[in-house]
Amino acid sequence: MQALETILSCRQNKELKTGDNNAKESRFQQNRGVMMANKQKPARKNASVPSENSVPAPLPLDPSLEVNLQELGKRIGQSSDVVFRRFTNESLSSLALAFVYIDGLVNADVVNQTVLQPLLETVTLKSESITATDAFRMIKDQILPIGGVKEGKTLEALLSMLFDGYTLILFDGLQMALAADTSGWEKRSVNEPTSQGVIRGPKEGFTESLRTGTSMLRRRLKTSDLRIEEYKIGQRTQTGVALVYLDGIASEQVLKEVRRRLNAIHTDSILESNYIEEFIQDGGLTPFPTIQNTERPDAMAGGILEGQIGIIIDGTPFALLAPSTFFNFFQSSEDYYQRYDISSFLRLIRYGAFFVSMLLPALYIAVTTFHQEMLPTTLLVSLAAQREGVPLPALAEALLMELTFDVLREAGVRMPRTIGPAISIVGALVLGQAAVQAGLVSAAMVIVVSFTAISNFVIPSLAIANSIRLIRFVMMFIAATLGLFGIMSFLMVLLIHMAGLRSFGVPYLSPVAPMVPRYLKDILIRVPLWSMTMRPKTNLGKETRRQGPDQKPKPAEGKNSQESGQPKPQGEDPA
Amino acid sequence: MNIHKKILIPLLCLPLLSTLLTGCWDARELSELGITSGSAYDWENNQWKATYQVINPSSGSSGMGGSTGGSTSSPPFVTFTVKGRTIMEAIEKTNLTSTREMFFSHSRITVLGESVAKHGINQLIDMFLRKQDARETVYVFITKGEAGNILDQLMQLSKNQGAGVQLMIEQESRLISYYPGVQMFELAMALSSESGSAVLPEILLTGTEIMDETTETGRTDLKTRLALGRLGVLKGDQLMGWLSQKQAFGLSFMTDKIKTATIAFSSKPKSGDKPDASYILQKSKTIVHPKWEQDHYVIDIDIKGSGVLSEVGSVMDLNDRTSITEMEHSIEQQVLELVNNSWKEIRTLGADVTGFAVRIHRSDRKRFKQIKKAKNWDSTFQEIEIRPHVSMKIERTGLSNKSFESVHEK
Repeated sequence: MQALETILSCRQNKELKTGDNNAKESRFQQNRGVMMANKQKPARKNASVPSENSVPAPLPLDPSLEVNLQELGKRIGQSSDVVFRRFTNESLSSLALAFVYIDGLVNADVVNQTVLQPLLETVTLKSESITATDAFRMIKDQILPIGGVKEGKTLEALLSMLFDGYTLILFDGLQMALAADTSGWEKRSVNEPTSQGVIRGPKEGFTESLRTGTSMLRRRLKTSDLRIEEYKIGQRTQTGVALVYLDGIASEQVLKEVRRRLNAIHTDSILESNYIEEFIQDGGLTPFPTIQNTERPDAMAGGILEGQIGIIIDGTPFALLAPSTFFNFFQSSEDYYQRYDISSFLRLIRYGAFFVSMLLPALYIAVTTFHQEMLPTTLLVSLAAQREGVPLPALAEALLMELTFDVLREAGVRMPRTIGPAISIVGALVLGQAAVQAGLVSAAMVIVVSFTAISNFVIPSLAIANSIRLIRFVMMFIAATLGLFGIMSFLMVLLIHMAGLRSFGVPYLSPVAPMVPRYLKDILIRVPLWSMTMRPKTNLGKETRRQGPDQKPKPAEGKNSQESGQPKPQGEDPA
Repeated sequence: MNIHKKILIPLLCLPLLSTLLTGCWDARELSELGITSGSAYDWENNQWKATYQVINPSSGSSGMGGSTGGSTSSPPFVTFTVKGRTIMEAIEKTNLTSTREMFFSHSRITVLGESVAKHGINQLIDMFLRKQDARETVYVFITKGEAGNILDQLMQLSKNQGAGVQLMIEQESRLISYYPGVQMFELAMALSSESGSAVLPEILLTGTEIMDETTETGRTDLKTRLALGRLGVLKGDQLMGWLSQKQAFGLSFMTDKIKTATIAFSSKPKSGDKPDASYILQKSKTIVHPKWEQDHYVIDIDIKGSGVLSEVGSVMDLNDRTSITEMEHSIEQQVLELVNNSWKEIRTLGADVTGFAVRIHRSDRKRFKQIKKAKNWDSTFQEIEIRPHVSMKIERTGLSNKSFESVHEK
């Protein structure tokens, strides 16, 4: 099948030379993708891949309008939302035209006012002498008051434009067609991000529209260095994916790698950014995410300014940022919108919460079953008193409660909003209070589990918070078998694993391991902005200056003394 | 794909294996533990008699009033008394009567009966140093009668009696400084040092009746309470005798163990010796310096202290510098007397609890080696002459200048 595709793509390439702008981009990417795939794994060529030819041979248009329309109808299968409008009235004109557009993808007003109306009103078209070629030229150059007018020569090119909301204008007797950009579908308006809220800072989030996303970034980064590369990924979904970066700041190597991986994606559908994330992220089996996702254009702009590469995916408000290190997941965009001292404090709290969330139940199990001598006596006695009537061993108790919480949490996400309070009452009162009173679990365990759960929500990135949700359970088992020794050993294993991870070539724990002391300014704490003069190279990139060296605000004394200093020596010299 | 599976399946099975291990090894659930807060040892009929005080968690002996199942009628702790030819044999025998495994890591005090102190305590110290969950930081006490009785006594304000006694001794050594609390490792260190002597504070019951019923602690004034008494002096591993609290106080000055202390003294020594003023000693430093003089050792003891006047009962104007100096003199005299008194008793007991042997060993190694060789340290110790020099300063006189007595006179 792959071989077939290569042949096909060659044919496509030939065609591309003769024009057709729109098709060029998407096809080109696809071909590259196919070729890359072939290059990468030549062994696959003969392997029995499910033969599903989703890229049919491009079919040039037929001179006959009827044939073309029939072919189009065949391809689309008479779907009810596709509007075919024939425009052949012998009494008006000898010219046979047809419009095709998809209702819902086009803005009806635009179609009516800028396509239909001018065509209907133009007198010259009605004269009998006009040829199809002249009409084509005339419509394209003079009549259509629309910015994006493209030509299409193959059915496939036209179809892909049709699905982008273009209105096709087919001519009888021509092997070319026009496509006018009339796209306009119902979109969600720009709203406050639901998953990454801030107290101070911009309140707008990405929407499902790719174009809105790129425009938000353009508005924030008004520099000619901003590059937006678009890809169409997914044979059936043809999802628009935009690579956004700053030329000269993003590392070329990383960029190359991202492009290579994007091109290598060979899939049916991309419905959400996680599809892309899973296809391109490093360390497929690690619990730790190596790509950030964000709903906030400002966070994305911040990342791009630091040399990260943004990936916006059409159809989802969650965009990706890569390469991402472990510490990126603890940086919230609000850190930079608040004073540095409170930001630093909050960041330390986040790291603390990270460890609490990962280790607290495990520590509780380890200490109460192995290391009772480590607790203060009064605490030990009160814990012992609480555990007196509890039928389960500490591990089972902890597992039970942790699983209960995860069930509650999942229920909270799924359940309709109207019955939300009911679940919280059942969860908090029935499971928390009553379980303790019934003697099923100890009160301390409830405290441990709730604190663990709350700590988990402190971490700004849901991606890393989710990863430790699972690690927590492993930790609990290990704590119950090996105690604190086991916890330490497993932490070592985790650390070694993390030190070995890379995100697009960037060590996952950088700049802590490998240590670059001057990049620690924005890791555990956040130093004042004026002190972060250099932009940390995203390791493989280059280090560039972000702001002037002496930006610390101070009274204008120095300047004054300079100004007043000049006359001074003159006055003093004689004395 | 197949290779992946081959690796993956065992990998996934590993955590499953670990679940089989749970409950093995030394994992202990809290509800299986008998948390011991104190232990007492007696020597009876050539056998060790050990008494253990085990906290009863459900009575809320955490002191915070444990919320679950707290019934006030059940005692905050229970005691087990067991006998055995060795200490461990006795301990293991508790498992014949107790529902819970003894857990010694939270033990706070160890009480030695006089019988054990006379028999020798080396074996006991060895057990404490050797056994994994026995803490060397337990406070050690000595008692005149049977040690087990001490652990039966209920305490007010602190349900966990062992912890309560620990608080008592810590408070005592911090606020009165009659004698410092002695922890097991300190006892072991003192006995193994050159001087080979140690002191142990005495713990006693103020009455004859033991308050061991929870209903009895309902009273405001208990008939019998636990109290700290004299200071037992051990030499080798045996009890030699006792120092009274005053003598112990003098010893504290000699060994630089004073943290804060209150000294009662006569504000006008000329007109009478009756103490009518108090002085809170806040800082005290003792420097011991031995030197050989002809045929015996002379120990210079420099005691320097400073503190606050807290009570004056005579007619006195504190603005007058001379009266302050006079009082300082009186305090110094008072301390001197304490030290001399203490030394006299120590010499009679012949136990070097002052640690002079350590000092001499450090400053004069050659001669000390000779003494050791000749094995006449005891006689050398008897010949030691001490020269205490005391300097006490009154740094502040409190909030009023004249004594109220003098205001009243006018």
